[in-house]
Amino acid sequence: MLSRRTFIQTSSATALASRLFAAADSTKPNPELETLGAVALAEAKKLKATYCDIRIIRYRRQFVTVRLNPERGTGKTLEVPNISDGGSFGFGVRVIADGSWGFAASPIVTKAEIARITGEAVAVAKANAVLKSRPVQLAPVKAYRDRWQTPFERDPFAVSIEEKLELIRTAAAAAKKDKRVFSAGCNIGFRSEDKYFASSEGSSIQQLNLQTSAQVNATAVDQAKALSKTRRYVPPPVTAGYEFVPIMNLVENAGRVREEVIEHLNAPPVTAGKKDLVLLPNHLWLTIHESLGHSTELDRALGYEANYAGTSFLTTDKLGKARIGSDIVNVWGDRTTDRGLATVGYDDDGVKATKFPIIEKGIFKHYQTIRDQAHLINEKESRGCCFADNWSSVPFQRMPNVWLEPGKPTTTLDDLISGIDDGILIDGDGSFSIDQQRYNFQFGGDAYWAIKNGKKAGMISQVGYQARTTDFWQACDLIAGPAYWQQWGATNDGKGEPAQSNSVSHGCSPTRFRQINVIQTD
Amino acid sequence: MITKEQAQKLVEKVLSFSTFPECDISISSSERASIRFALNGITTSGFTVSQSMSITSVKDGQTGSTTLDEFDDASLKAAVQQTETLARISPANPEREEPLDAQKYPDIENYATSTAAARNQVMIPHVQSIIEGAKSSSLVAAGFFERAASTAAIANKKGNFGYGRTTDAYLSTTIRNADGSSSGWASQPAVKIEDIDGAIVGKTAIEKCLQWKNPKKLDPGKYTVLLEPTAVGDLVQLMGFSMQARAAEEGRSFLSKKGGGTLLGDKLFPDFITLRTDPKNKLYSVLPWGGGGGFGGGGGGGRGGGGGGAGMPAGNATWVEKGVVKSLFYDRYYARSAGKEPTPFPGNLVLEGGSKSLAELIASVERGLLVTRFWYIRSVNQQTVQLTGLTRDGLFLIENGKVTGPVVNFRFNESPVRMLQNAVALGKPVRVRGGEGQGMIAPSMVVKDFPFTSLSEAV
Repeated sequence: MLSRRTFIQTSSATALASRLFAAADSTKPNPELETLGAVALAEAKKLKATYCDIRIIRYRRQFVTVRLNPERGTGKTLEVPNISDGGSFGFGVRVIADGSWGFAASPIVTKAEIARITGEAVAVAKANAVLKSRPVQLAPVKAYRDRWQTPFERDPFAVSIEEKLELIRTAAAAAKKDKRVFSAGCNIGFRSEDKYFASSEGSSIQQLNLQTSAQVNATAVDQAKALSKTRRYVPPPVTAGYEFVPIMNLVENAGRVREEVIEHLNAPPVTAGKKDLVLLPNHLWLTIHESLGHSTELDRALGYEANYAGTSFLTTDKLGKARIGSDIVNVWGDRTTDRGLATVGYDDDGVKATKFPIIEKGIFKHYQTIRDQAHLINEKESRGCCFADNWSSVPFQRMPNVWLEPGKPTTTLDDLISGIDDGILIDGDGSFSIDQQRYNFQFGGDAYWAIKNGKKAGMISQVGYQARTTDFWQACDLIAGPAYWQQWGATNDGKGEPAQSNSVSHGCSPTRFRQINVIQTD
Repeated sequence: MITKEQAQKLVEKVLSFSTFPECDISISSSERASIRFALNGITTSGFTVSQSMSITSVKDGQTGSTTLDEFDDASLKAAVQQTETLARISPANPEREEPLDAQKYPDIENYATSTAAARNQVMIPHVQSIIEGAKSSSLVAAGFFERAASTAAIANKKGNFGYGRTTDAYLSTTIRNADGSSSGWASQPAVKIEDIDGAIVGKTAIEKCLQWKNPKKLDPGKYTVLLEPTAVGDLVQLMGFSMQARAAEEGRSFLSKKGGGTLLGDKLFPDFITLRTDPKNKLYSVLPWGGGGGFGGGGGGGRGGGGGGAGMPAGNATWVEKGVVKSLFYDRYYARSAGKEPTPFPGNLVLEGGSKSLAELIASVERGLLVTRFWYIRSVNQQTVQLTGLTRDGLFLIENGKVTGPVVNFRFNESPVRMLQNAVALGKPVRVRGGEGQGMIAPSMVVKDFPFTSLSEAV
């Protein structure tokens, strides 16, 4: 079996390659993990469970941050660092017994504990069976024995902390290099998830998922007015290794953040009213996420999330028929996107990653589904959207990467702007809120520029826009071409009770929306 | 879960591996049982055991941290070594405070063994009661019932050691009619699981659902509102984060004064507004050192006294008293810089109320809207604490002191600061927990000029 000693050795090593459960060139899971997984499957079978899966997962999370702020009284700039590097290791067992789901989890990864926790999961399922609305029914899935990993060139955990510190200190200093900048900061973070999955369907899958993220921020303050403003540069969080860090251009963008936070402090407030909007990919990703991503989740549409996240305006009678957007709105659900945060080889049902159309020419075509839902809309197989955010969490339907197709290759950002008399260009994400059926939303951004007579003008502030999801997407009249397509995303998409965080990316090109209701916020 | 003796042994072990002058340890463990239900049946359910330790090593201000959940000797030794390696690389932290000497922690344990022992057999009858109630009215129930028991310890190399235990339970339900055109909601948090009453939670949500039929569309605008306690807690709990002295002095807070300085001592609110932190309140079960409350909250999970408390004994604080800003939040570093005493973190909040019942408050409103709760509340402006969000699961019109009918939901844009300034009457305080955040103890409240900015057709 996989001994505790083996795990200890792997956890304390700094290089990613040496802490993998399977050899880097292996196409199969680690045999010791397969032995542990078999304990759960055998125990569940013995206890008359009709289905069982186990996930054994090790996480590693490394954060390196630095903040530059004035010392009270002296005004001297203090550099406040923070370095943490930790992890978590444990397993969760999911079973179906008497037609109901049961789940149990523990951080003690031994054969005896796996057997005990499997028994707990079966006990939970049997207790729940008295109150099931309908027996669980799983869509068929193929059995896989495979090993998959995020494509990467440079192991982020093998890169020295010194190199990371130098980078973020330089970027923070660049953002702070103006007396008018009150404080600035930069951080960089890496996460690995090494997950083993075995199921009673015959699958045995090991996957390594790597995430890389960073941020530069600055704050400017006008004490006389008791007014403060911020500006951030958030490069796309990605599944990739350290090779993505130079692409982020943190230092170069820190200089821009410095200049723009000062501009933001002095920017006049927007005048409320109907305006045309040009939304950049680092802003529009979140609007796609909230209005199209969540509304096309089948569990929401059916009522499974009614008590927390809510339901959806896209009820099942609208599948294949409802117009959501204009003809140029084409949206995909995709677990295979290059560097996408939701990109995996297999989901937590053991379903191979898929790509499927959600909206075609503005019409709603497909829901996001998992194995225990597919039959409820007469589909034969799952679309591979099952995920749990931890070994201790219950897998359920979570969003794949959901992205908007770019426009014609010849369409440029200037084309979008030049067609506007009175509008706003929005960069970066800000405030976001949407109702429990995904009709009414309100978004802010990180920075805003007025568009006047077809040209980008000065920065403005205090912008929010409110719309109804279908009105908004039907007001979409031009999308920039593939050369502008970029993917942004988040690692903290909340859903479920107890709440879980999903990582998900949303790609798009700059996009124009006509006559959207803009409000002036505080 | 980890006992006091086990925690002490773990601490001794970790400290035996430490070679640096400072080593801070925080240990937590928990057991959680939960049931989700929807479409009038249980959907998922789990039992989760967890444990975690965070270790921070410091030498000359150079600091390195790690977290782990494997507590064997070799893992602990490797973790301590890792923090010391990280610290050697890190620049010194100029805001690092000296570790605390041995502290005397208050005996405020409020731990219910009944909650800690409860499993599905105890919880299911409450869920069953809600589902049967819904079915008998041809309605559809969804909801969540969770109970958690946690233990936590903190320690350092200077001999400080603290240990605490907490329990909490929470039941919530959303009742909808079959065609999805009506919805009602209710919840109950409690330290003792036997205090939870599924029948009452279910009945409240069912009544709201039955009453919210054919809602009337009103125009967006400023309304007098009667906020139920959950709706008050949904917004006021977010004010805690804005009480920082540092942000106030630096011109980044609603408590900043134009031209410099703070609004400490100013009367910003009506006489009847008093906002306190009260970890000793028996409606809360919290650790004996600083931090937030409830499971998943700042200190409830044993995160070493988070929020800048850094292991200071839990204590009371009054942030607003009779409308006057009485205290700002000082963490240990900023308190030392400013020559002040550090304060508890503004968690475990209590907004004091009056003696009026909800019915009496309804009777006092000539024309206004009764709000069950808010949803998807997000910051719009951190400095003014302006928030946006929506009404959900029960919005009703009050006319001439009577509830006259349901109203289509609204989006709001408002700051709890302005909301408290516009408060005109309070009801009895109760412990509340809405859909987001850990909640607080809050009364119902009548507020004038509450700005609803657009309609939401969501149900």
